Amino acid sequence: MNYKLLHIFRNTPFGRETFFQSLYFCKTIDAYPVVYIPKNDKFLMYFSNDAVQIDLDHSYLTSPATAKSHAEDLFNEMDVKPMFYEPKNFTASSLPDISTNFDYLCSPRSVSDLSSKIGLGHIGPKVRRIIKQATFPILITSPVFKPWKSISVFFGGSKNALNALKLGLKIAMSSGLPLDIYTLLERKDETYYRDLIKEDGVEEPVSQLTKQWHFYKKSEFDTMLYDVPHNSLIVLGAYGHGIIKDILLGSKMEKIQSTVTNNLLITGPYCAISL
Amino acid sequence: MSIIKNWYKNVYHKLFHLDDRLLLIIAGICVGICSGLAAVALRLSLEVVLEWLHPFRHYWWAFLLPAIGALLSSLYLEKIAREGAGHGVPEVIYAVSRYGGLLRFRSSYSRLISSFLTIGSGGSAGPEAPVVMSGSSIGSSIAKFLGLNDRQRITLVGCGTAGAIASIFNAPIAGLVFSIEVILGEWKFVNIIPIAIAAVAGAEVSQAIIPEQILFNHQPFQVGASDILPSICLAMVTAMISVLFTKILRQTAKIAKKSFFPLWVRAVIGGSTVGIMAIFIPVVLGEGYHFIQSMISGTFSMSIFFIFVAIFGKIFATAMTLGWGGSGGIFAPCLLIGSLTGIVFHKALFSLFPSIECASEGAYALLGMTGLISGVMQAPLTGIFLIVEITSGYETILPLIVVSSISSTMSHYIDPASFYFKELIERGQFLRPGTDARILADLNIRELIETSYIKVSENMVFRKFIEILKTSQQNFYPVIADETGEYKGVIQISTIRKYALDPGMYDMIFLNQIMDTEVMTASLENDLQEVLDIMDIDNVDSIPVVENDKFIGMISKTMILDLYRRELIMQTSVQ
Repeated sequence: MNYKLLHIFRNTPFGRETFFQSLYFCKTIDAYPVVYIPKNDKFLMYFSNDAVQIDLDHSYLTSPATAKSHAEDLFNEMDVKPMFYEPKNFTASSLPDISTNFDYLCSPRSVSDLSSKIGLGHIGPKVRRIIKQATFPILITSPVFKPWKSISVFFGGSKNALNALKLGLKIAMSSGLPLDIYTLLERKDETYYRDLIKEDGVEEPVSQLTKQWHFYKKSEFDTMLYDVPHNSLIVLGAYGHGIIKDILLGSKMEKIQSTVTNNLLITGPYCAISL
Repeated sequence: MSIIKNWYKNVYHKLFHLDDRLLLIIAGICVGICSGLAAVALRLSLEVVLEWLHPFRHYWWAFLLPAIGALLSSLYLEKIAREGAGHGVPEVIYAVSRYGGLLRFRSSYSRLISSFLTIGSGGSAGPEAPVVMSGSSIGSSIAKFLGLNDRQRITLVGCGTAGAIASIFNAPIAGLVFSIEVILGEWKFVNIIPIAIAAVAGAEVSQAIIPEQILFNHQPFQVGASDILPSICLAMVTAMISVLFTKILRQTAKIAKKSFFPLWVRAVIGGSTVGIMAIFIPVVLGEGYHFIQSMISGTFSMSIFFIFVAIFGKIFATAMTLGWGGSGGIFAPCLLIGSLTGIVFHKALFSLFPSIECASEGAYALLGMTGLISGVMQAPLTGIFLIVEITSGYETILPLIVVSSISSTMSHYIDPASFYFKELIERGQFLRPGTDARILADLNIRELIETSYIKVSENMVFRKFIEILKTSQQNFYPVIADETGEYKGVIQISTIRKYALDPGMYDMIFLNQIMDTEVMTASLENDLQEVLDIMDIDNVDSIPVVENDKFIGMISKTMILDLYRRELIMQTSVQ
């Protein structure tokens, strides 16, 4: 496989934890981490229908002289070949364009606010916009490096959730780690969800790779979150319900990310995953 | 209910999907109105603040006003809006040529606020480029909201530009022409109608809110055949002034960037310089429209020497404002410098040939404005239509055409890059529609890679390779390491003939002994221009694409040409 993950490097202890997480993710699924060391406090990502300016918090520009050597040390520590990304195009002299031709992007919960301030509290508006526009999954890391030993897919039956399920299967295939599916029975029964995957043609890989499919009643949302192993990579879809429903009901993904400390791999509405 | 839904879907599809012209016209009207409102808002707010600050201009500390404005403008752009200073027009052209007109929403208001602070406090700049940025961003945002494709989005960006220019100058034709000549760079039927309608909408909004708005009052000019020769000479002068203005603007900005001062300090330095200059040369302050009006009406009473000084003073003041951290555009400074140049030229002409019969000073001010606009932007049509529309000076159209053509041609001859394009050309990102660079930039290397290549092992004995050769049509065989799967080199049929013709060698050599490891490779990060450059250096028609030491596929000139042709047809076809 030749999958590439883009990591925006932060030369701080917190950034080191995030980077370890990226390296571990790449090693586990046989992908390549590509590191971008920001030289400006902002950059632009041009997606197919939006130009998202990412305003980085000032910690991303900490000790620029040592950033590259620190990143190389961490690459070596995890025995991964160092690869760095240098932007080629600039919208303005201090505003580089960062390519969106990656397969994954690693992001903390916020890139514009200091993470020490936000904790698990909320997802930053920039990260939210990236997830909404990206054609690739976003890896939202745990605050400290935490190797994951299993994969947990949250499957709610939507198109986005099907994408997340396929992504979970892909990761299970490449990593060889066990996969669990978690479904909250909101309106339908179990057979509805099983029929959905049958219709989508992923029944076979699901039966082969899934260790267990857990079903919960609608009221057992918190129980479900507690049942997910703490050292599991959670794969889930986000923002698939449209703007009105998201505003009225809030995003389930955002509720989950503010509750669990696990690493999250999120597929947005424009993310297309094929097995 | 389902009948209504089906009917709605049917009508929507017929109206907007089969032929998107109606959609673009309707969206263009919305964009024109919104960008027109943005332009009017800036214009009215500038009038208010300039009037409010007028009494304070007589105090000794008034020279600090432009510094304070530039300081606030730079702090706002850097800390709040988090955008770069300057006028933003290259950013719009860049977005149109490379990213289908995708612009940030924040650009729709940020430059308006920053240029309001800069120009309102007396900084030497114009409000036109910021409204272009704002209008374009409004067009882009509306296109994003409607989920339009790249081509449609570019049209709406053009609509935003046209609406903004039409509104701020009350000049719809100039808006249309500027949008197509400078921003989009292509005259396409499918673009012209929505952009023209957006320009009219922008101008109408402006008329509705400021009914008495006439930028410059019309003055009757007697222009005859005797003015043609002086016009040619004036065009040459304006071309040289244009080139000088562009160079000074860019050099000053470069010096500022090299300085170790933070942006806000630079802005203060630039602003105070303008403030101090204004004590001696008041004409350098702000947009300077009332000075232009007095020049057109022939009531400008400075001596030729002071006007001459004022030309260079205004050039320097504009460079200090825009290059050192202020925000605004160069339209208004161009108009002022152009009219000053026209007046100086007229005065010089009469002092040299007192009995010459030619038009009045005001007419030469118009000609000078056209010359400067055409020279600096290298956009002759914009120069002609803008001046004709804002002054209603239709009787000067012939000399205007002469001046505009000669000035733009001559300045292009001296410096092929106009002020707006220079930065993009230097960065290799000036990609006009239909050009090689644009078509190659629009193609993705991933679309061109041939992946169905037979790979061979580095430890393969040559006899086995000969067996593969018998059944394969490939000319290149990527050699891969057994253990790691890494790309090691390539076997080219043309270079292994001597071994193939000697069966005695078949069991004696391995592929790692004869593979070519010097062949240059491309990666997925390369754009096609770089791939073609690599091929030219190596003088080969195909090269391997390698990523993370893994062979991805081969890329050939034949494939590039094939896709290039298809893309060219698509980009130049009548839509």
